[in-house]
Amino acid sequence: MDELLTELGQALVEGSLSDEDLLARTGRPSVFHILPEANVIKVGGQSFIDRGRAAVFPFIDEVVANLGRHQMILGTGAGTRARHAYSVGLDLGMPTGVLSVLGTFVSMQNARMLSYLLAKHGIPFIEPAQFAQLPLYLAERGAVIFFGMPPYVYWHQNPAVGRIPPHRTDTGSYLVSEVLGTRSMIYVKDVDGLYTADPKKDKHARFIPRITVGELRELDLADVVVERPVFDFMAHALVRRSIQVINGLVPGNLTRALDGEPVGTVITAD
Amino acid sequence: MTDPADLTSPTAQADPASDSRPRHHVRSRLMRESLLDRQVERSTESPVHRMLPEAHVLKIGGRSILDAGREVVFPVVAALADCLQTWKLILGTGGGVRTRHVFSVGIDLGLPTGVLAQVAQADSLGNAHILGTLLAPYGVVAIPPEIFGHLLPLFLHSAPGVVFGSVPPYSLWEHPPGIGRIPPHRTDAGAFLLAECFGCRSLTLVKDVDGLHAADPKLEPGAAFIPEIGVAELKRRGLRTLPFEPVLLDLLENARLLDRFQIVNGHRPERIRAALAGEHVGTIVHRDR
Repeated sequence: MDELLTELGQALVEGSLSDEDLLARTGRPSVFHILPEANVIKVGGQSFIDRGRAAVFPFIDEVVANLGRHQMILGTGAGTRARHAYSVGLDLGMPTGVLSVLGTFVSMQNARMLSYLLAKHGIPFIEPAQFAQLPLYLAERGAVIFFGMPPYVYWHQNPAVGRIPPHRTDTGSYLVSEVLGTRSMIYVKDVDGLYTADPKKDKHARFIPRITVGELRELDLADVVVERPVFDFMAHALVRRSIQVINGLVPGNLTRALDGEPVGTVITAD
Repeated sequence: MTDPADLTSPTAQADPASDSRPRHHVRSRLMRESLLDRQVERSTESPVHRMLPEAHVLKIGGRSILDAGREVVFPVVAALADCLQTWKLILGTGGGVRTRHVFSVGIDLGLPTGVLAQVAQADSLGNAHILGTLLAPYGVVAIPPEIFGHLLPLFLHSAPGVVFGSVPPYSLWEHPPGIGRIPPHRTDAGAFLLAECFGCRSLTLVKDVDGLHAADPKLEPGAAFIPEIGVAELKRRGLRTLPFEPVLLDLLENARLLDRFQIVNGHRPERIRAALAGEHVGTIVHRDR
């Protein structure tokens, strides 16, 4: 057996995986970028898809216009129906894992609906079990759609505060961009990016065009535009060390963001 | 916040505050709220329904038990068979040496943490099938992961126990660890999260050590035994190694239903029954609040 293993392999077989010295050694080989030409685009649920055709149709047109220019992995948010399901579930004592299942269903509805709007271009909706086929679809058609919820279901960990699943569609989409080593992670919302407060509620909210995760932590905002676990994961990330939040209601923003222009708020790891 | 009576009202309404492209809301307590607002997060704290309050979850170690040969495995199987006469058991299995090997090959090839988490599922599932084969005479088998979580209460109502490969379904969505490449949520975490979500009576980790020591007892035989400890104290001590996945401390800190887990030595199989009976026969790690 010894000859089959690297020295690190031998240490992994014999040692403790809680030993930080051993864990540090596992980080030394450079990480392989699986799909370095692809872009992950998260389409907001409440902020975007719930607005219906007025918001979604122009966005779909812009996705189609970018086919052949950029590879796009489109994740969907959940939105107002998830809020309803969470409200009903909370009242009835559902644990976080069950709320995660409910949120997954809503984000799946949105993924299916978007996929029919793109169906004539040969773009499929894939579930997590079909991710093995994702590279083929991307190479053949230039885009795929998935539901943004990470597939943790009953194994979704509790938040520190409250009961809502902490790792929702922003996080699930981010993790896809990190694990696949994609070239960008773009969040399509209905605001220009990050503000010092919710611009829908506070008229004095100031826009922040560029910020680091560390600066964001220092600001300690009561509300943020992207799920907080994304920032924790960015701090640990090997590949996807920046994300951009854009206003998808503005025509051309998606294309410019795909072309690498800052058109919203760019958040980077320190 | 709307009246609780409105919680299930199916009324949809347009957001009056928005532009010509209104958002269509379903009326609910969380309608229009940002789920990222801390005050909204706090408002969602409420009691949790226990789905399987009588079931016990056990995680049977991979390297420590299932890879250790029949001298170790058969007495553990006999102890589990005995427990199945008394309690409903949910048995998770570790991946053991094969998982360590596939990690080492994957890391050498530069594959990221999510890929390592995905490929590791196979080893734990293989071990679940081994344990399920040994427990088949008692009506206990390994359940395919695709149906396991959803059908668990039905299976447990019909059989004395079930076996599952306890790698949680994080797969490509595994969290990037702070140090190195190894997936942080492995089979201990999968057993923990399941026990917490289903509101099970206890979680017992069956390993090859008596419990937690001030140092690894295999390297330092005289290391002091720690019979019981809280999460904060254990984090403060910053031990070099732990006989369980360190992420369990964070999960226990945020648990609502589980308030402890016990590590017991499966090489002393009589301790498994004792642990399920509520006896303190290994190390208990408890939540602080």
